[in-house]
Amino acid sequence: MRRMIKLVRWLMSRRKREREMEAEFHAHVELRAEDLIRAGTPREEAMRRAKLEFGGVEQAKEACREARGVSFAEGLWQDLRFGGRMLRKSPGFTAAAVISLALGIGANTGLFSLVKAVLLGSLPVPNPQELVVVRHADLEGTWEDYSYPMYRAMRDKNTVFAGVLCRAGQEFNASFGGESERVRGELVSGNYYETLGVSPAVGRLIEPNDDRLAGEGAVAVLGYGYWQRRFGGDASIVGHDILLNNTPIKVIGVTPPGFYGTELGRSPEIQVPMMMAKVFKPVPGNRMENPSHSWLTVMARRKPHVSVVQAQAAMDILFHQELSAELSASGASAHEREKRLALHVRLDEGNQGFAHMREEMERPLLLMIGATAMVLLITCANLANLILARNAKRRQEIAVRLAIGAGNGRLVRQWLTESLMLSAIGGCAGLAVASWVRTALLGFLPQGQAMNLHATLDWRVMAFALAATVATGIFSGLAPALQLAKTNAAPAMREQTPEVGGGDRLWGLRSALIFAQVALSLPLLIGAGLFLQSLQNLRSVETGFTKENVFLATLNPALNGYSPERVKALYGELLVRVRALPGVKAASLTTSSVISGGWDQEGVKVEGYTPGIDENMSPNAAVVSTGYFATVGIPVVEGRDFTEQDSAGHAKVAIINETMARYFFGMRSAVGKKIGLDGDARTPPDIEIVGVVKDAKYVRLSEATRRHFYTPMAQEPRLMDLTLQVRTGTQEESRRIGELVKEQVREMDANLPMYETTTLEVQIDNSLAQERLLSWLSGAFGMMATVLAGVGVGGVVAYSVARRTREIGIRMALGAQVSHVLRTVLGRVAVIVVAGIVVGLAVGFWLSRAAGSVLFEVKPNDPAAFTGACVVLAGAAVLAGFSPARRATKVEPMVALREE
Amino acid sequence: MGKELELLQGTLDMLILKAVSLGPLHGYGILLRIEQISKKRLEIQQGSLYPALYRLEDQGWIASEWGESENNRKAKFYSLTAAGKKRLAAETEKWREMADVIAGILGTRPEEV
Repeated sequence: MRRMIKLVRWLMSRRKREREMEAEFHAHVELRAEDLIRAGTPREEAMRRAKLEFGGVEQAKEACREARGVSFAEGLWQDLRFGGRMLRKSPGFTAAAVISLALGIGANTGLFSLVKAVLLGSLPVPNPQELVVVRHADLEGTWEDYSYPMYRAMRDKNTVFAGVLCRAGQEFNASFGGESERVRGELVSGNYYETLGVSPAVGRLIEPNDDRLAGEGAVAVLGYGYWQRRFGGDASIVGHDILLNNTPIKVIGVTPPGFYGTELGRSPEIQVPMMMAKVFKPVPGNRMENPSHSWLTVMARRKPHVSVVQAQAAMDILFHQELSAELSASGASAHEREKRLALHVRLDEGNQGFAHMREEMERPLLLMIGATAMVLLITCANLANLILARNAKRRQEIAVRLAIGAGNGRLVRQWLTESLMLSAIGGCAGLAVASWVRTALLGFLPQGQAMNLHATLDWRVMAFALAATVATGIFSGLAPALQLAKTNAAPAMREQTPEVGGGDRLWGLRSALIFAQVALSLPLLIGAGLFLQSLQNLRSVETGFTKENVFLATLNPALNGYSPERVKALYGELLVRVRALPGVKAASLTTSSVISGGWDQEGVKVEGYTPGIDENMSPNAAVVSTGYFATVGIPVVEGRDFTEQDSAGHAKVAIINETMARYFFGMRSAVGKKIGLDGDARTPPDIEIVGVVKDAKYVRLSEATRRHFYTPMAQEPRLMDLTLQVRTGTQEESRRIGELVKEQVREMDANLPMYETTTLEVQIDNSLAQERLLSWLSGAFGMMATVLAGVGVGGVVAYSVARRTREIGIRMALGAQVSHVLRTVLGRVAVIVVAGIVVGLAVGFWLSRAAGSVLFEVKPNDPAAFTGACVVLAGAAVLAGFSPARRATKVEPMVALREE
Repeated sequence: MGKELELLQGTLDMLILKAVSLGPLHGYGILLRIEQISKKRLEIQQGSLYPALYRLEDQGWIASEWGESENNRKAKFYSLTAAGKKRLAAETEKWREMADVIAGILGTRPEEV
């Protein structure tokens, strides 16, 4: 900043000095004229002669400016102005450089905004570095939750923490003013905000006093985003009741903007005190006193000067004391005791809160960072190459500058100024690109997640963009500038045509850059090929169902406190109503809709089948209404579909998929066999298999087909949230059906929200978000890299032709064949490109292994992707190199020789 | 009035320093003073005067100040600084020596060699 002020002051004083100079010269001429008049010359003649005697005013000014000596700032100003002129003089070069830089810097900056939000972001609370996540893993390494008594002991008996908070997720059906919706909520301990150090935007937040007795403390805090969206930021909602799962709860305040709870991407919209679990998570007995009921995640704030290691040791001792007491009280076996006491508490840095999203997105993000960094490197190499090409044209200018006394340092500075100007313009344009890239990236994330990400273009992103800009300017400008500094003035000036023959440094440098570009571009292209192939495989995978024209919506009447009978009646009525709507071909309900990302698994026993030790006896399971298979388009291959007769009072039935039939019954028919869900091995299986349906993809498109069984909704005693699926005849109808269905639901219960409304096609599309993002990005980057590499190759070939025009002319005059000339011109470039491809292949082999886990039915070393990438890159190089090479063969010997 | 002589390279600076050593002068005044003391035998390119002034000022040998000319015109007056005084003395000494040597060489007769 101080530098800026200095420069501005200098620029202003520069104006002043210019004016003074003008005034001084003017005074001189006037004085001279007056003398002449006094000597008898007529006034006009006197002025004319005075001016004439003085000579060229502009030359004098320029000489004076030079005489005054050049300060650093003045030199910079000169460099900038000169650089500006040079850039304006070659608009083609400038445009090419700026566009490639804008893309390179923009892609990096845009991605960085996401990386910052996901991987680097801290919770927006004071001193986040003091926070730790308290957890322990079971023997298989899965994180376990804590019971409330364990949490209470940790909170009250520890000596290392300033505060220990706990939280648990909670779904709400929230109703207000006759409108209801499903919102993501959270139960939080009374010290939650106190420990985090968050203050309210409006009203007050939950305090320890709100969280004292089970079932008391019917208050709620709204998330800022939810408050804005649902209540239009109206502060008067504070003090009013809203209906959460049919229970009136008083709104007491709003969290500050930017606060997203303790987990990135899962921002709670409503938070209520932990003690409300009695109302919202009813279980038999007292949940708050039951040590075997684990349902809480715990975070804590360290006291200052207590290290994570110290705190962990202290908490581990406390955890074992409590666990030991708990095990004694419950009379656990020695074996059980030993197993449980082998567990250890682990404290992880909690400055980012709970980080499921970070863990999930880390690998794709790192892959993308690698790709964008590569693109920026390629951009630098390309720009360096362009500058080198231009230097060749500016050889004489450079020589003149050296000859009239420009120092090497001065020249290098001038060149760096130019490349920095380019990268600065590119960087500014890059910010626009970055904002676009950021929007595009967020668009690829599943809906909901993106909303809670603070991927804003803040000062850190700006700092990153600035750093990238300066680095790019220096990287791309330094090599050409240093090469330039070695130029010897005398020979360069004498030279009219570029020297004949090889071996000069310029050529070497340019070849090295081409080599680097090709070697870096190839892995990007290979990545693009792999990801596109993977996405293609996923899109064309045999799903086993018909995805077109299916509308989806989920309801959870149980949350509103409905009795199980009323829930079942409501679901039944809903089906009747929806099936009567115009355009509906089939409608059904299910616990899990296909490719929704989650599925139930249930342990079974099978008639006549003895499972081995550790054999997985938990196939996928779904509870479905009648008409399910017709709605989703899964054909029944044997036996029958569920009917209305398969109801509560009748014999229990199930339908299984082909894989399950084959697994348990081999070639024999499964129909008529029995399975059981009862955990007790002594009771015989009591559910009759009445049909076998075709296999399908259930959780995600990339899964291996699993065993699966369906049971009818009518025979399920307790129904929770079910997804309504409606098949219509046309796409048009499936778009319209949502409103009609919503109308029906509202008529049945205005306080019952319908959520996750979508279509099956969109749901499948969302499930491919990561794959689409990777293939789209790598495709775009691969294309860009190829174009840049092509530009580089074309430039080098053109340079090589220009450099050897005379030689080619002579050869042609002496009768050389066109093919021979082409070979001469292209030969060396071809060697470089091939060398680049070979190294690029090696790099590609090495890098593609990192992508293995995100590929579907494509091996990381897929020959097609590798060959394709080579062909594309080599093709681009040939195309780019061919046209300047053609020019070489058109050289007229006489013209070439006369070029001297 | 004798024939006008072209200025020897590098002597303009010295002449300027000498001219302003006799009292502050504006650019045109310096020109007049040199003409006057050289009895109009030296020709100075008017355009070359100012770059020399700026250079000398930049080197700190003369200082400038805006003031009024004898006929009430705003003009920039140059005066000798302390460093300039020393410089002038040194230059004068150097010039005398040089002139001596050159004169000696040019005055050499064949029998003296």
